Amino acid sequence: MFRKKRLFTILIGIIILVVLIGYSLRDRTNLTTGEQFVSDIIGMIQNVISTPVKYVTNIFENIDDIRNTYDENQLLREKLAQYKGLIYEVQELKEENTELRDIVDKADSIRAYNPIHATVTARSPERWIDQVTINKGSLAGVKENMAVITAEGMVGKIQSVSKLTSTVQLLTGFDEFNRISATISRKEGNDIFGLIEEYDEKTNSLFLRIIEESDKDLEKGELVVSSGMGGVFPAGLLIGTVKEVIPDQYGLTRTALVEPAANMYDINNVIVVDRVLEGEGEEKGEEE
Amino acid sequence: MRHIFLPLILLLLVVLEGVALDILPSSLIDGDILITPHWVLMFLVLIAVFYDRNNSYHSIIYALFFGLLIDIAYTGILGVYMFTYAVVIYVIRELRNILHSNIYSTLLFGIISLTIAELIINLIYYVVGIMDSVWMDYLMERLLPSILANSIFLLILYPLFAKRLDKWKNSKIK
Repeated sequence: MFRKKRLFTILIGIIILVVLIGYSLRDRTNLTTGEQFVSDIIGMIQNVISTPVKYVTNIFENIDDIRNTYDENQLLREKLAQYKGLIYEVQELKEENTELRDIVDKADSIRAYNPIHATVTARSPERWIDQVTINKGSLAGVKENMAVITAEGMVGKIQSVSKLTSTVQLLTGFDEFNRISATISRKEGNDIFGLIEEYDEKTNSLFLRIIEESDKDLEKGELVVSSGMGGVFPAGLLIGTVKEVIPDQYGLTRTALVEPAANMYDINNVIVVDRVLEGEGEEKGEEE
Repeated sequence: MRHIFLPLILLLLVVLEGVALDILPSSLIDGDILITPHWVLMFLVLIAVFYDRNNSYHSIIYALFFGLLIDIAYTGILGVYMFTYAVVIYVIRELRNILHSNIYSTLLFGIISLTIAELIINLIYYVVGIMDSVWMDYLMERLLPSILANSIFLLILYPLFAKRLDKWKNSKIK
């Protein structure tokens, strides 16, 4: 009698498990109210706790950093000198750009976006799921599928939103369902267009399937940026640099291995990118 | 007043797991080794061993509830941690009468629970398609380091809570 009851409980447990997993793996656009409520509560506590924890860990990191300071300083001085000239140039170009835009009467650009600043409060302890929590939610204007960047480059996109917090899916967790249309811009000749398809654990890089080849071959070290053609991400967000180019198994297309520009493991402050120009593919996200 | 402590501590551990990976040096996270904190599970083991009586099911109810919280807050795939933690704690509850409850047996239970939990979680994720690693790599890179790291955590928790939980258990009768 007792054994039967036990077996029964386990069977019911497994059925509930399968139902729950099936429910959560479905292509959900919104979190349920209960989930939002729980994420908000946990988010609030995380907000309180993460600040002192970050403070302490920062102290240790700083000590670590001090050792490399001299070499870095030398390097940075050199770079700074180069940038001074660049700043002037960029300013000129910006002015010219706005002037030209006024002339053709085209105010919104695919590049323009409103930044929403946020802080990372937690990282998923489950390592197969590359997901962090940030302290801004739908009240601050965050919506699903928005791009998330740091000063270094793109880190991911918004996966789910509750009132006060939202979760970010990192680039390292991207699979074939989260494609980013990307481009490599060239001074002369056609730009190269492609799709960032997935993250490869073995090589620690993103696969960029090249759709439109250019006259010139892709080279190592070239910058890959988002093209804005997917409808949600603005154009011009830095994704990474090309590490290697490999042909696919039939030799028809080629795939570039792209090393993400941002460090996915050391993220503190992020910017959620709210594109000014609304795309048509809003609901489908960045899927083509 | 006493019985509100346990849920509060567990909730705190759920939250702390989110910043756990920040505490570790990034060279450890960046590399091949994947350490997964299971602090909530460790505390649940302590509850199962020291707090629960033979006819009470606190630890299993807590396991279900806080497992679900972890699912909601950190993975978005409901039921995985909930189911796993409940099963593991159930097994530990069955096992605990075999050995005297001291630090060695607790550590043994901790290691057993970690192994079962990790294997079930990863089996589910493997079936669902989230984990796509080779099982042999998984054993070396994730299972062993996680067991080691969490056992250390259990050893830190033990002196803090073992006596106290026992006391709370006895004060419950009055």
